[in-house]
Amino acid sequence: MYLCDGKIGNNYKVSDIELPTNMEKRLEALGMTRGTSVAVLNSKSHGVLIVKVRGTRFALGRNITKNILVG
Amino acid sequence: MRENLTIGFIGNPNCGKTTLFNAYTGANLKVANWPGVTVEKVEGAIKDHDLNIRLVDLPGTYSLTSYTMEEQVSRQFILSDEVDVIIDVADASALERNLYLTLQLLELGKPVVLALNMMDIVEKRGMEIDTHRLPEMLGIPVIPVSARKRIGLDVLLHAAAHHKDCKDPECLIHHHKYKPKHRHDHHSEYAMVYSDAIEDKIDLIMAELKRKYPNLTNYRWHAIKLLEQDKEISERYPVSLPDVIDRNYESDIINEKYDFIQEIIREVLVNKDRQDALTEKVDQALTHRVWGIPIFLGIMAVVFFLTFTIGDWLKGYFEMGIESLSALLSDGLVAAGVNEMLRSLLVDGIVAGVGGILTFLPNIFILFLALAFLEDSGYMARVAYVMEGIMSKLGLSGRAFIPMILGFGCTVPAIMASRALENRRDRFKVMLITPFMSCSARLPIYILFAEMFFQEHAMLVAYSMYLIGLLVAILVAAVIHLIDRRKSENYLLIELPEYKIPSSRTVAIYVWEKVKDYLTKAGTTIFVASILMWVILNFGPQGYTTEMADSFGAILGHWLVPFFAPIGLGFWQIAVALIAGISAKEVVVSSCAVLFGVPNINSGAGMDTLVGILSASGFGQLNAFCLMVFCLLYIPCAAALATIRKESGSTRWMLLSALFQLVVAWVVTFIVYRIGLFI
Repeated sequence: MYLCDGKIGNNYKVSDIELPTNMEKRLEALGMTRGTSVAVLNSKSHGVLIVKVRGTRFALGRNITKNILVG
Repeated sequence: MRENLTIGFIGNPNCGKTTLFNAYTGANLKVANWPGVTVEKVEGAIKDHDLNIRLVDLPGTYSLTSYTMEEQVSRQFILSDEVDVIIDVADASALERNLYLTLQLLELGKPVVLALNMMDIVEKRGMEIDTHRLPEMLGIPVIPVSARKRIGLDVLLHAAAHHKDCKDPECLIHHHKYKPKHRHDHHSEYAMVYSDAIEDKIDLIMAELKRKYPNLTNYRWHAIKLLEQDKEISERYPVSLPDVIDRNYESDIINEKYDFIQEIIREVLVNKDRQDALTEKVDQALTHRVWGIPIFLGIMAVVFFLTFTIGDWLKGYFEMGIESLSALLSDGLVAAGVNEMLRSLLVDGIVAGVGGILTFLPNIFILFLALAFLEDSGYMARVAYVMEGIMSKLGLSGRAFIPMILGFGCTVPAIMASRALENRRDRFKVMLITPFMSCSARLPIYILFAEMFFQEHAMLVAYSMYLIGLLVAILVAAVIHLIDRRKSENYLLIELPEYKIPSSRTVAIYVWEKVKDYLTKAGTTIFVASILMWVILNFGPQGYTTEMADSFGAILGHWLVPFFAPIGLGFWQIAVALIAGISAKEVVVSSCAVLFGVPNINSGAGMDTLVGILSASGFGQLNAFCLMVFCLLYIPCAAALATIRKESGSTRWMLLSALFQLVVAWVVTFIVYRIGLFI
């Protein structure tokens, strides 16, 4: 499944990121690499999420969450 | 002779770096532009320890790759000979992520001192950091500080001064509790040691680099960057080792760094799970799926309510001061026998114009105080999330809404804040719509005209201006999005910091800067504009005249009336005030004071006089409303135009956007006027 379908309160493991290189590198620098655990803290409709990655909260837009494959 | 020492401050965004920097430099802070690049660095100087210490605050960054402009600039600056020692500021309450930048800095081979900031928050939450083990694992001094409480500041500076020549790590002690011993045992030399597979490659690349570029320093860092296929380093120091660099190893290197960070965290952080439950709770309300937007609108309504009510209450005292000053000056000048012309210039020109503007200072003060609170509390980042839904429908990222809110304060920093948007198209769009957000300079116009013509509904009318501005901005963005059908991909990615009580020092510095700007503007732009206004109103084709109707100003105004008449502003004085208002929006008010000969325009008596004059010429409620709408939307002030030119790098774009705003203002005011006439 993709991260945009994540439910509040659940944890997911990143299995692949399908974004333009620039964006992918920025996410990786923030610690969102393959295998990282992502917790969904809050969500709005259409996959706009607040997530917690390696102890930090981020707001992510749908264009990002719909391209992150999680398991 | 004092020795010079240059310290570079670097850290993640939101790590309290600027607070720390301000704690050291205080009032010595000055802003300078990087040569050739539009990224700003801030410098400050202090004297300590028989050293001339220069502090350089670099833009907040998560990493030192060469993907963004800021990161490239920071990296080049750190690598340059200009910097003697780096202070890496880390938010101790989010150590895991902050250490990633630390590991990258260590590889640069420059002296680094780690400042563990926000230790007070860590302690408050019941977490503990082993500040003895952490330096052993990193090989650099680690100094706990609290920038907000000003704890540990001297110790940090001492550490930096003493550490400036230490290029090799000290006290590296690494136990292999979790991993078996591996072939590349560099643990006594480097904090970050990679897996054997990666270290093998690093060795091979280093050997090749040494052969090909014998004058290079820090081979290890260059080798790692080549493995990551870093654009800048690969172009500058190409090596041909297709068997070694067979693919991009960046992800592997990042992963191994984070693995090491986890090892560090396991050893040094006690009670890791004590998370701040408060932020999560507050977020549940403020970023609520349904209530998020109403809460945001409510907060903004409170901000403006405070601006009007508390500001108005303080304003009374200012008026009394200006009034007595004006009377005193007038009497003094008469007694001193100063001639009539000079007396008129001083009293009717300068005191009326500049003095009138100064009485609005309390409103401006409260507005910026409220904005400083919003920025420092951590709420601003949430707004990007809350508005993402609406903004994405306009083809913009939620992040683009932050410059728009800043626009309520001043258009100039708001346009500069659009730099945070990666996408160039987005930046131009935001630059085009931000001037529609009602800035603080337009506040005096609303306060004056709303109070004169709408009495008890004054605040409601002023509110409506903010709403109209916001709606026009959104509408314009929507239309542009419709025309430019190109599917633009927007990526919202913003860190949501923990909520905190704003630091009084940070807020004070922020507000003082704004108040100072306002006073400077009153003393320069508005001062000059008031004199010019007086000149064109007191001189005509026949020379000096006390009959305003014969002045150059009147001639110019009458000439412009046909343009303004269809929108309910066909009064020559108003036309002149609006033209003058392009220098600064407050000038509309100061010009009215000069134009209508009302010395203390913002006082009860002054307003009564002005209403009398205006009403007599047929200027009523509807005209006042049209004037406010037009002032809200028309050409931004000269400072904003200059910023648009600088940020867009194009004079043509600046002129086009000014023309566009003028057209929008005219059309909207025309519609408002026609509807008003109908009602």
